[in-house]
Amino acid sequence: MAPLESLARFNLWGMCPAYAVYFAIQIGLPTWLTTTPERLVCFAAVTGVHAAVYLTGLALVKRKEQGEALLADERDRAIEARANRIAYFLLMGGLVVVGMVMPFNAGGWRIVNAAVFAIVSAETLRNVLIVQGYRGTPRLAH
Amino acid sequence: MPTETLTNEIRLLRFLAGDMTQAELGRRVGLTRQTIAAIEQGRYSPSLEVAFRIAHVFGKGIDEVFRWTSGDGAAPG
Repeated sequence: MAPLESLARFNLWGMCPAYAVYFAIQIGLPTWLTTTPERLVCFAAVTGVHAAVYLTGLALVKRKEQGEALLADERDRAIEARANRIAYFLLMGGLVVVGMVMPFNAGGWRIVNAAVFAIVSAETLRNVLIVQGYRGTPRLAH
Repeated sequence: MPTETLTNEIRLLRFLAGDMTQAELGRRVGLTRQTIAAIEQGRYSPSLEVAFRIAHVFGKGIDEVFRWTSGDGAAPG
């Protein structure tokens, strides 16, 4: 498995469950999570879990591939560029909603969580497209 | 919808070159083993530069290594 694909899989495994729990908590808003510091701690904890899984994955990939670069050749670069290009539009769309629409009818944590959701969605899409690029896409334009 | 496909003879040419490994071919043309495997299986179309490099390794012309065929098997005109 290519290093970039391995890292994308680790990122998905670290990010999707962690942020699914985060958004479930934020939507449910239990009584122990009402103040801003508590909500910040919740966000920090989830981000910490994601970062820990990602960094563990990065270390494992580096050790297994023995110094091989993440973007080792033109196929790696083409797959990553395609994933970045498509995910960028999702990120832009999300941030337009968050920054230009939501301030008129929402505020505070709703905007923060919408921004986090846009970023997580774009990053998830990017990693899914990287995995799909290695597994299924028949051809890639340069 | 285009129906043309790019096929190649890399697997055969590796065999004829003393069963050269994918990793060895990849090292000589600057690609990873995974990318050579993807090219052989038709899952990735290499750039023109890489296609020339692969052909050069086997001492062949690019049209002897790669073939572009239409859906009915004929070469696209």
